[in-house]
Amino acid sequence: MTLTTKIKEGEIWAVGGGKGGTGKSFITSSIGTYLARKGKNVVLVDMDIGGANLHSFFGINRPQKSLTSFFEMGASLSDLVVKTDTDNISLISGDVHSIASDKITFSQKLKLFRQIMKINAQNVIIDLGAGSHYNTLDTFLIADRMVVVLVPEVIAIENMYHFVKNSLFRKVKKTLKEYGFKEIVQHIWDRRQSYGITNIRELIDYLKESFSYIGTILDHELASFKIHLVLNMVRNNNDILLGMSIKSVMTKYLGIPIEYSGYIEYNDAVWKSVRERKPFMLNYLASSCAKEIESFVDNVIKGKEVSLPGGY
Amino acid sequence: MAKDELKKYFDILELPADASLREIHKSFLRLKKIYSNESIAVTPLGEEFSEKRRKKILEDVEAAYVKLIAAKKDESSRTAFLPVEEPEFTPDQERIVDPAYSGPSLRKIREKAGIELSEISKELKLRVDLLKSLEAEKFEALPEAIYLKVHLKNYAAMLGLDPIRVAEEYLRRHKAWKENSAPPEK
Repeated sequence: MTLTTKIKEGEIWAVGGGKGGTGKSFITSSIGTYLARKGKNVVLVDMDIGGANLHSFFGINRPQKSLTSFFEMGASLSDLVVKTDTDNISLISGDVHSIASDKITFSQKLKLFRQIMKINAQNVIIDLGAGSHYNTLDTFLIADRMVVVLVPEVIAIENMYHFVKNSLFRKVKKTLKEYGFKEIVQHIWDRRQSYGITNIRELIDYLKESFSYIGTILDHELASFKIHLVLNMVRNNNDILLGMSIKSVMTKYLGIPIEYSGYIEYNDAVWKSVRERKPFMLNYLASSCAKEIESFVDNVIKGKEVSLPGGY
Repeated sequence: MAKDELKKYFDILELPADASLREIHKSFLRLKKIYSNESIAVTPLGEEFSEKRRKKILEDVEAAYVKLIAAKKDESSRTAFLPVEEPEFTPDQERIVDPAYSGPSLRKIREKAGIELSEISKELKLRVDLLKSLEAEKFEALPEAIYLKVHLKNYAAMLGLDPIRVAEEYLRRHKAWKENSAPPEK
């Protein structure tokens, strides 16, 4: 694909993962700050419907413009982009008021996605917020770089599995919908036990076997389904190794390969920085956390995985 | 065919096809730990989890390990990868025969796994004669316990054994020897 045929302006990142409080907004703002420091032109989009807080990472208390205007007044997304005090970073603030995910209509959603793709920036980074609502999953799926944030605890892992599984299922359904397969996919999935199907990978394999002509379509579309895992708030080597276990379990049980792209250690400097309402990466440039974020982002870009401490 | 088969085993151990012997051992230990007991990564699984599947994964991991060790051995003798007969060796079975790790029992495990001392020597950067002394329990030829412990752990990991237990049990024998042979103080 050449540059002229590319419909999208920039590269889209989405940061999700299911559970709240794992540091998605922190990581979104940090990815943005790091890319901006590398000279990229960055626009952050706060899609945490109902829990928007990305603006406070840039010292903005009450955003003057927000997605509310898009949903309620039909404002254009490009008019809602606000410059931050940090060079190269602009922000589209989330809805701080009342919009619920359910209230977003299908056509609003499509319009939103179209306009996100047209944002004039080298990097667009979307903070998805918590949950696995289908609107959240659909937003995740428009990204070129899909990041899931996890903390080392059972509930977060459970929510993350749910989030990733449902994203892939939605991706399969959406891909095949255009070929009139949407009902069939759901039909087989609902009766998966009698088909001997235990996970989404087996569903995909079954579909490919039964309808050989959709095999190439699925392969092609699913090749872009690449999840990057970042483990946040790790406290010891065991926590870091957990990322390897998650990767293994996801591959072996769920049939969904992921890339373990980075980990960020627990650090009081992070919440201090959040309290001070300043971008962490600028405030604590020399901290080990900042270094870990940099290597995580570099890994995602290069398609590499973490190098584990002590040669594990 | 053989190459595909090999690739399959590397995939099961979640390794690239050019992984070293040491990486094979490490990965085996790591995966065994995840799937032997329930790891925090396994607990949150929903309907995908089944005891049968867990056991199957563990079996596959062990089988892949045995095959890859054999393949590595073949590789070093410059022959192509051949299918191994029956997987006759797992470290756990060996423990039943030999309840505590000693030099000779470690040697037996190593020989059954088909690992040459020269391979371990290369991986761990230890002299072959030191490894020989370790297996023969020629304690006087071995370094101080504090260094020996590190070597033992690395050696155990290469055999797919629990490094901590091997080091502990071996060093117990080492200590007994030291206490018996040391000249009485004062």
